[in-house]
Amino acid sequence: MSLTRRQFIRNVSVTGGALTLGFQLTACSGKPLQLGSEADFQPDAFLRIEPDGAIILQIPKAEMGQGVVTGMVTLVAEELEVHPERIGYAMAPVHSAFADPEMRLQITGGSASIRVYHEILRQVGASARETLIAAAMQQSGLDRASLAARDGRVRSTDGAVDLAYADLVAIARALPVVSDVALKPADQWQWIGHYDQRVDAQAKTDGSARFGMDASPEGCLTAVLLRCPWFDGAVESFNAEHALEHPGVVAVFATEHGVAVVAEGYWPARQAAGKVEVTFTPPGGGLRDSAAITEALTAALDGDDFASVRDDPASAKAGQGTLVSGRYAVPFLAHAAMEPLNATCRLTEGGCEVWVGSQAPDLAQDAASRVLDVPREAVVIHNQFLGGGFGRRAAADNVAEVVAIARELKRPVKLVWSREDDMRHDWYRPPMAGAIEARVHADGSISHWQHRIAGPSINQQVLPVLMGAMLPQWIPGGPRQLVGDFVGKKDFASVEGSKELPYQFDGVSVSYHNVPVPVPLGYWRSVGHSHNAFVVESFVDELAHAAGVDPLEFRRKHLAADSRERRVLDAVAAAASWGNAPAGHYQGIAVHDSFQSCVAEVVEISLVDGKPKLEHVYCAIDCGQVINPDIVRDQMIGGIVFALSAALHGEITLKNGAVEQSNYHDYQLLRQTDTPPMTVVLIDSAAPPTGVGEPGTPPAAPALANALFAATGERQRRLPLRMG
Amino acid sequence: MVAFSLNGRNVELKVDPATPLLWVLRDHLGLTGTRFGCGMGLCGACTVHLDGAAIRSCSTPVSQAAGRSVTTIEGLGGDHPLQRAWVEHNVPQCGYCQSGQIMSAAALLASNPQPDEENIRQAMSGNLCRCGTYHKVQRAILSVAAVEHWQPAAEDAS
Repeated sequence: MSLTRRQFIRNVSVTGGALTLGFQLTACSGKPLQLGSEADFQPDAFLRIEPDGAIILQIPKAEMGQGVVTGMVTLVAEELEVHPERIGYAMAPVHSAFADPEMRLQITGGSASIRVYHEILRQVGASARETLIAAAMQQSGLDRASLAARDGRVRSTDGAVDLAYADLVAIARALPVVSDVALKPADQWQWIGHYDQRVDAQAKTDGSARFGMDASPEGCLTAVLLRCPWFDGAVESFNAEHALEHPGVVAVFATEHGVAVVAEGYWPARQAAGKVEVTFTPPGGGLRDSAAITEALTAALDGDDFASVRDDPASAKAGQGTLVSGRYAVPFLAHAAMEPLNATCRLTEGGCEVWVGSQAPDLAQDAASRVLDVPREAVVIHNQFLGGGFGRRAAADNVAEVVAIARELKRPVKLVWSREDDMRHDWYRPPMAGAIEARVHADGSISHWQHRIAGPSINQQVLPVLMGAMLPQWIPGGPRQLVGDFVGKKDFASVEGSKELPYQFDGVSVSYHNVPVPVPLGYWRSVGHSHNAFVVESFVDELAHAAGVDPLEFRRKHLAADSRERRVLDAVAAAASWGNAPAGHYQGIAVHDSFQSCVAEVVEISLVDGKPKLEHVYCAIDCGQVINPDIVRDQMIGGIVFALSAALHGEITLKNGAVEQSNYHDYQLLRQTDTPPMTVVLIDSAAPPTGVGEPGTPPAAPALANALFAATGERQRRLPLRMG
Repeated sequence: MVAFSLNGRNVELKVDPATPLLWVLRDHLGLTGTRFGCGMGLCGACTVHLDGAAIRSCSTPVSQAAGRSVTTIEGLGGDHPLQRAWVEHNVPQCGYCQSGQIMSAAALLASNPQPDEENIRQAMSGNLCRCGTYHKVQRAILSVAAVEHWQPAAEDAS
């Protein structure tokens, strides 16, 4: 195989269950991928080993704190037989080779990265290792059985041959890549399930980690943008006379997104922005106030216009037993990641470069190319560390904005959102209302579980955007919106975590009514599970109370004996000494399946002045095979802090179409002083790995509400919790 | 013209004296380890030391630093006991708030070399972390408090 062909790197696909790591040749479709130099050994798109022995892994997913870089490095290191610290990494460029094989986009979401890539990346490591061993066979004249790879070297069993990988690069790069290698059995794993050092910890501790905010191409100016406070407005007119007099200001102009104020640095730009007078086009129609949205959701629940997403056969006991019912409601939520949104753009001949921390660099590329009206390939995305993502950074509104500014300015420019911009122009977790009822029978059985959900559909808005990046660019937006409207009627993101009810109840039905709002909506850590787990697991507690059964026992009784749900419930109950809380402490429990993992949590509280004080949170997760135990524990704890921040404080409200909150004083998060000790139990499992980034979040709010019920006898059916 | 000591070296620059120290560090001096989070002193991501005390650089005009000593995360040198503990305990997730967390922790240890858990919680309550790394922050500080004494004098020597 020639060196030239070697540049045209592979296509990973999982076909018929078998993994194939092939080469993508010039004759095939797709743009060739050139990474590193021709002197490197590059068996596939993901990995290259340079002549000096440097090993570089392309990371196809965004690192936003969930530990994906460490996880992927661990998987490759295991099969490549090197210490994970030996593997350098880079954020992958946008290329079809790095598109998620399930989602067909280079997007990080759905807690899917390790679940989807664990086998692919082990194969990447194994193929490279075997190809290096083949090179050692050629060099030494020994057969395969006489050679073994260990610690970045290939050695013969008698010790006479001892070659570093670096010594084998020149031979290996000319050999055919060995594929379909049998993966190491679990009892030989050195790193998987054991490696507990984050590979990005040092850079994130000494200040050297580069986030989108830190990009600074030569001659880069800073822009801030004055956006219309309501989401359907545009700039009608503006007066920049005083702003332009401000020292350091370079330009003030309108784009399709607002009025851009460009200066030498953030501070003069922000100061000058305060001197611009802008008139925006008036607000349009629709639901523009929180009170009106709450009313619309209530009215929807009172009506009967619902689309069924699950409709089990009616129970034979219809009309019997005791009817229990409740209505629940949750608000809009912001992501409020610590790094305010930003993006940096430099125009190039016929396109541009963008520096951004993005969960979906191909959506960023698509957005940029549409602003400049150039082919997608003319846009280069340099993905950076993300200062928190949680779903917000899958959107590319910041990228479209900065490219439009650069288009007018014709100089490199970084757009920096203020915290207030970030809070008021999020893609929000939508509000939801739920009406739920069921019948409790004397024999302990439950029938007639009816859950109706009303609220705005995320995917009605977001799917057309995702499709825009997946389909050829000439396809107009209209048909994509029709698909969004269709999917929105039964949006899976609105009902996930409700329709998959794990309990063995009779006559389960779940239905949905979409209530569109003129507010941008997006994926928020655990998406539909974030509100459905609250409703379902709170109401299960209501049923337990109505049946006069302990909440843990009630759940166990209605779950299959060998189920994962029972296993995690038993594990968390043991950790929390369920039923034996210290005097003055009260416990609530919840279990929820999401992203193919199963998590149970116990929240333990006390009451101080009638308000809950968090005393301890216990958590058990079954996520299949654990790759990095410490990262899984941290994701559980982080997901719980995220959920409890929302349950206790989180609420975005609208007035005349604009968001009322602005910063961390009126959108509060848990702080060091509010966060209780936590205990996380990892269930031992050899099943393939499943989600970790999001599944810790859903059970926490209902477990807290259930603890409050245990403490006060009052059922809290709204978030955020308002006591008294 | 504003002059101050930055990580042990004298700097002098022409800048609007009302400019927050944060933006002087990031935009004028290229020290990007200090992070912008809220602009109102609410989140602590921009924490640096001014004469050894933790301050929020997003809401401190550079004029207040004139003639004084500023230490940023870069000034800790990367091998500071707290930084070593941060790596050992895998504290960072996204990492964005961690410069500020470490600078707050360093100031705490300078004034109280052996804080207990409650001292740590109180001293660190001004530093938000959206990833929820609070337990690790606490554990890392405790590990340093247990074995080493923070030497404030080391700050100017770095």
